[in-house]
Amino acid sequence: MRARLHPEIATGSDMDALLLRSLQSYVLDTFGLAEWQDVCRRAGLAAQTFEPMLRYDPGTADRVALIVAEVLGRSVDAIWEDVGIYLVTCPDREGVRRLLRFGGTCYADFLHSLEELPGRARLAMPHLEAPELTLDEVGPDRFELCCQSHILGLQRVLLGLLTAMADDYGALCLIQPGADGCISITVLDRRHTTARQFDLALREG
Amino acid sequence: MHADRPDHRIALDSAVLSHFMPMHLLLDAEGRALSFGPTLARVLRGDAVPGARFEDLFEVRAPGGAVTVGDVLARAGNRFRLVPRKGVRAGLRGLGLRLPEDGRVLLNLSFGIDLISAVRDLALTDADFAATDLAMELLYLAEANAAVTRELRGLNLRLEGARVAAEEEAMTDPLTGLRNRRAADLVLERLCAARAGFGLLHMDLDYFKAVNDTLGHAAGDFVLETVGRILREQLRAEDCAARIGGDEFVVIVVGRSDPKTLQAIAERIIARISLPMAFGDQTARVSASIGIVRSLDMAAPEAAQLLATADRALYAAKRAGRGRAVLLASRGG
Repeated sequence: MRARLHPEIATGSDMDALLLRSLQSYVLDTFGLAEWQDVCRRAGLAAQTFEPMLRYDPGTADRVALIVAEVLGRSVDAIWEDVGIYLVTCPDREGVRRLLRFGGTCYADFLHSLEELPGRARLAMPHLEAPELTLDEVGPDRFELCCQSHILGLQRVLLGLLTAMADDYGALCLIQPGADGCISITVLDRRHTTARQFDLALREG
Repeated sequence: MHADRPDHRIALDSAVLSHFMPMHLLLDAEGRALSFGPTLARVLRGDAVPGARFEDLFEVRAPGGAVTVGDVLARAGNRFRLVPRKGVRAGLRGLGLRLPEDGRVLLNLSFGIDLISAVRDLALTDADFAATDLAMELLYLAEANAAVTRELRGLNLRLEGARVAAEEEAMTDPLTGLRNRRAADLVLERLCAARAGFGLLHMDLDYFKAVNDTLGHAAGDFVLETVGRILREQLRAEDCAARIGGDEFVVIVVGRSDPKTLQAIAERIIARISLPMAFGDQTARVSASIGIVRSLDMAAPEAAQLLATADRALYAAKRAGRGRAVLLASRGG
């Protein structure tokens, strides 16, 4: 079935909406308006904006990502991974990085906090259908993160997020995609570099 | 319940207390400080010295009237609210008990709703809170909420922009960029309801059909666009110029009721429209007839009646030989 590209308030998926908006910001900020307009044209998009607070047909995010991959001449996996990195590292989106850093004082703490992430997200957005995440500590400094979602790209977005957050915490890690949407993480050095500064409360103003 | 069982009794030194309660305060039976948890010591800044009296450290906000720690425990049961006198101005919630053996008082404090500003002012980190404290969750929630609110505000602004654009489109004649009939009706109704003084000009182009017939529809469209531009140039922003039919226009001149002024405006418009319009290498020549009415000529102006009167004035202008403006006082109003 062809996914519709306009908001679907009743039946749509809010995770698709959030990822579509992230994809849009990533393409606009990293490549530019011309590329995004090209994506919109090929996708047959009337409005050139995805609204993060609305809902879109499940599958829309994956469909648009394929078009982005086509326009940018890169694999869709690489695109999604970059979106994950972009969400954490883009200075304009400091909010995502900050919210993730509340997860813990070190990278291992942060990894364990990911299981709480859907619950935390629902505190602010009660209707969010956030995918459940499970983290298994499979050995010393070895973890496996699994995520069940209808969005195929989500595994790669998480991979990008985890990679960027490892840098943020100053941890040296080996992060690899596994089967069934799982990701394996090996922490090689917890304090490889200095962690980025994190103040619990934002400066006023 | 099992306090009597020896294996349930524990002796805690201040390091253990601080581990579980980084904002505790241990006072002797007379209310003098014995030890402070490390986070509370930061809150009190220089005031956190052993021997300091409770009432010198804190202003009691609740229970009302309590000053000493004895008052607080006697009146509040075990829950109370304090503000440090010299340290960070933050409300602190507390829980306290007089220890049964020697009458010492153990208080455990926490930030209430002032958590965020206290964290900011003292540059606290999560090491300053017990691992069981929900402070992190509260800080997280505040930021997550702010982010969601920001997104929603953005969404509202974008939707409002789209709504205004759609409304604008629904009110605009696409060919001339003037307002359309619906927009003119709304303006008229609003002005009539407000009993505002205004002039209404009903204009019809002369010889327009001839241009269409001899030079073609593209030339006709060009004439209409030109008339649109002329009306926009001749009118103020608060006036309303609308194309309400093929070559029929309505102009509402807000706040102008002097017959001479209205007549002058109409004649200026006619003069401009009567100038030859160059369309490629051809020339289109039209003119315009205008009927004028004033809202002041009616006791209770109504849009339909004003338009009907303006229509009669327009036909009077046409009969008088075209290229003219005729003002007609409304009858029966």
